[in-house]
Amino acid sequence: MLIQENLSIEEKLKILSDAAKYDVACTSSGVGREGKDGSLGNSRLDGLCHSFAPDGRCISLLKILYTNQCIHDCRYCINRRSNDTVRTAFTPEEICRLTIEFYRRNYIEGLFLSSGILDTPDHTMDQIYQALFMLRRQYHFNGYIHVKAIPGADPALIERVGFLADRMSVNLELPTAEGLRTLAPGKTREKILKPMRQIQIGIARQMEREGLLEQKGVVLPPSVSTALDSSPRHMPLPGEISASVPSAAAGSGAVSASSIRSARPRVIPGRSIYGNYGLGRVSNRKEYFVPAGQSTQMIVGATPESDYQMMAVAEALYQNYGLKRVFYSAFVRVNDDSLLPDLPGGPPLLREHRLYQADWLLRYYGFQASELLSKDRPNFNIFLDPKCDWALRNLGEFPVEINRAPYGTLLRVPGIGTKSAMRIVSARRQAILRFEDLKKMGVVLKRALYFITCSGKMMYPIRISEDSIAARLIGEERRKNWELGESGLYRQMSLFDDFHMEACSVRETRPSAAEAQETITGEF
Amino acid sequence: MVIFICDDSFEGILCGVYDAWMSRLGHKNVKLVVDGQYNMELFAEYRDSVISQEKARSVIQAVRRKISEHAYAWIYRASLSFEPEKADWIYRFLIYGFHIGSEITTCLHIPAVQEIFRLNRAVGNEAHLLTEFLRFSEWEGGILLAVIGPKNDAVSLLMPHFSDRLRGERFIIYDEKRKKAAVHVSGTDWYMTEGEEAARLAELAGQTDSGEYAQLWRAFFNSIGIKERENYVCQRSHLPLRYRPYMTEFQ
Repeated sequence: MLIQENLSIEEKLKILSDAAKYDVACTSSGVGREGKDGSLGNSRLDGLCHSFAPDGRCISLLKILYTNQCIHDCRYCINRRSNDTVRTAFTPEEICRLTIEFYRRNYIEGLFLSSGILDTPDHTMDQIYQALFMLRRQYHFNGYIHVKAIPGADPALIERVGFLADRMSVNLELPTAEGLRTLAPGKTREKILKPMRQIQIGIARQMEREGLLEQKGVVLPPSVSTALDSSPRHMPLPGEISASVPSAAAGSGAVSASSIRSARPRVIPGRSIYGNYGLGRVSNRKEYFVPAGQSTQMIVGATPESDYQMMAVAEALYQNYGLKRVFYSAFVRVNDDSLLPDLPGGPPLLREHRLYQADWLLRYYGFQASELLSKDRPNFNIFLDPKCDWALRNLGEFPVEINRAPYGTLLRVPGIGTKSAMRIVSARRQAILRFEDLKKMGVVLKRALYFITCSGKMMYPIRISEDSIAARLIGEERRKNWELGESGLYRQMSLFDDFHMEACSVRETRPSAAEAQETITGEF
Repeated sequence: MVIFICDDSFEGILCGVYDAWMSRLGHKNVKLVVDGQYNMELFAEYRDSVISQEKARSVIQAVRRKISEHAYAWIYRASLSFEPEKADWIYRFLIYGFHIGSEITTCLHIPAVQEIFRLNRAVGNEAHLLTEFLRFSEWEGGILLAVIGPKNDAVSLLMPHFSDRLRGERFIIYDEKRKKAAVHVSGTDWYMTEGEEAARLAELAGQTDSGEYAQLWRAFFNSIGIKERENYVCQRSHLPLRYRPYMTEFQ
């Protein structure tokens, strides 16, 4: 390993931002804080993206590693121990100067600090703490800070860091424990979930103190509420953590298909179905523990998991670990390793995109992973987005009457998003809406028109059959591809056609209760 | 048809609204245009609308009292738009507004409301992007200077954000197209300036440092993108080309 001590700050910045770029989380949202006299910076609830890199990803934070030295040998990681690259580390002063000067010039919204593991997790976490402490207390930086919690670090250290940061994240890396064992030999599921649970309990405890749990729609899983009741002032002991996760996850998976339909969660505009784990607007007078909540990321395509498994894991994380966001990172083959898949077509970007689309459907549109995918249809449609795909498989729920349907139902229409649904709900109190009005409100009519009526009429006569609507949605130029691969997938049963019933049962959209349970409990 | 010519400013448009309304000619028989941005029409009588604080103030008061603060914010932002038809749309919007009241901002089935909604959204969106894409550079004495060239006159919308964020800093945001500048000295107060003072600022813009941190920022920008994921179309849709001449990393 080549450790360079006397590099210039520009060379260090190049090396340590290059090493950090594979981490996807770059949001600056979740906390609204006004500026303070004598300090630099404020924070906006909705976050700001200050630039966009040539890969189209936003640059909102100064995303750097504290050091790229690491004791682990994770096969997918560019900073793995056995890679022969130049290693270096920032000093806390350098991090502070860069952050402050970039922030003043409006280049960035704050700091994203991650790190390779230097010697021990505790030592690394302590170094990060020193840097953040200096930035907040000596340089009086009041902007956004996102920091990684290092798995295996002392809970007391993580808590101290949490009071300086706005958002914390622990990367799950791979959706299954098995994948983690093969590709990241130094890490285990338990080690990763432990700090996640700790942060969740810290956030929940603070929200309880502020009386925000109900207002933010947070429903605590049993293990967290017992932790809150039993030890209100201490950090949870390692033993309590993740003890009861499987039962909670199983509970969510064991719901039968019919009760899923009736128990659709209530969708509240602008709020995640799983509740907002985080404080949102905060004052400058108090100290808060991770006010913008926590996030995590999973690598897509490094291990053979299906989209269904990814979504089930994401759903369980939202339900049981109170995450604000789960990020998906298309696997980029930076190392030549025999255990890594060869991706001749480049990183699985479309797959990543579909996962993000579905992720939004889970959090803001009241969908459940089991509605979008099933064990028999484990991957997303490459031609259609998950919402269109769901709508085509459930044509029985359509068309929806724009002037009457409740908000939650409007949200399920392809081409209508949260904003346009809200606009429709408030505008139809004033007048009966027509198709022309919808267009001006931001509804994407080219997708929505197959699924809606205005005053009982569709925009123009349409054959309500899955195949014809699918072909129109996909568009003429891709129609050929579609017909080659997937024709006949969407077809309503009719009395006069000869259907092979066994083929039909394969198309069953929801898994049986036992199957769902198996898949989800298998994860944790 | 009587056409009222008003000055291209919020006050100017409000005075135009006042004059058109008080002329008692009937809403169908009047029209508002912005000075310098209209075509002459046959069979029309042109009247200049004179700016006066009283006229503007009385319209503002009426809007805030009889319609809503929300509607007031909408017409203010719409008045900053670059589209010349804005004055007439604001007039049409207010006709409905005084009739319907505070619910007007939800009445998206009315064409005048749709237009004001659209202008408000376009101006708001550009202001939002400018809070992201605007770049300061340091001038002697630690004064920060940013130059922008937006489509809409959005400088005044940026100032509350930046003067809260950079409380202790002295900074200037200069709009190159309109020769207008907003100046922040300390605390959260700021003021706008036009004409000669703003023109002097333009000269200073050439003298700021393109120093150490700009270089570091470019280095960071160049190393943060992932080669395997290159996607310039996506980059362009998020960060339109017209903002780039003013941004450090693209200079």
